[in-house]
Amino acid sequence: MLHTKIIDLSKEKIKPENAEEFIASSKFGASIVFYGTVRENNENKKVNGITYDSHDQLVIKSFEEIYNEADKKLNIKDKSVFIEHVKGYVGLGEISIIIAVACPHRSEAYDLSRYIIEEIKKRSPIWKKEHYENKESEWLKGNPIQTN
Amino acid sequence: MKIQLELFGASKDFSKNDVLEFNFNEKSSIKDLRKQIINYIDKNLEGNKNFKKIVETSAFCSEDNNIISDNYKITKDQKISIIPPIGGG
Repeated sequence: MLHTKIIDLSKEKIKPENAEEFIASSKFGASIVFYGTVRENNENKKVNGITYDSHDQLVIKSFEEIYNEADKKLNIKDKSVFIEHVKGYVGLGEISIIIAVACPHRSEAYDLSRYIIEEIKKRSPIWKKEHYENKESEWLKGNPIQTN
Repeated sequence: MKIQLELFGASKDFSKNDVLEFNFNEKSSIKDLRKQIINYIDKNLEGNKNFKKIVETSAFCSEDNNIISDNYKITKDQKISIIPPIGGG
């Protein structure tokens, strides 16, 4: 079971309670909710906030691919996964991504949660523009996407 | 042929708009589009080296949301997205 969404912060807020509600089931004995949040320092620069941009359709496609791959690569068939990422301006300490997973056992839940965030970092077309205390801002460099 | 190039991430600094338009006289490829964007940067953005590097390291995405190679043929008017190096999450 999979839920994915890009939350446009100009229209709505990201809600942690939606993640908990989605993965709740007595079928599963282990649940993990991961929050990515904006931290105040990056490479010795004082950060005030981050603007996220995303290619929504490609991002959703990448989330679905990552979910489906988990079947083969991690051999985790029975699972519930909730992934939401924001676009727009995010202030310090606020949430940019929620990954909630539920599996029958804890080792699967830890593996799956870690696998999803690492793959998103590598493959999902999401960009960050950091805003600094001195009023400057810059897009973070990132890694080229694989074209096969 | 008219190509509408949708800008994402760092490429949004190429223009005040989210889309750039390029015209092609004949069948072209993504490789040609990449050259046209570099020409645009030379003409309109004082040949900004950082912007050119973004173009050189970017991927491109078709209207049907597939990552396309430099050999992909552009045969009709369409929207194409530039996908600069990624770093989200």
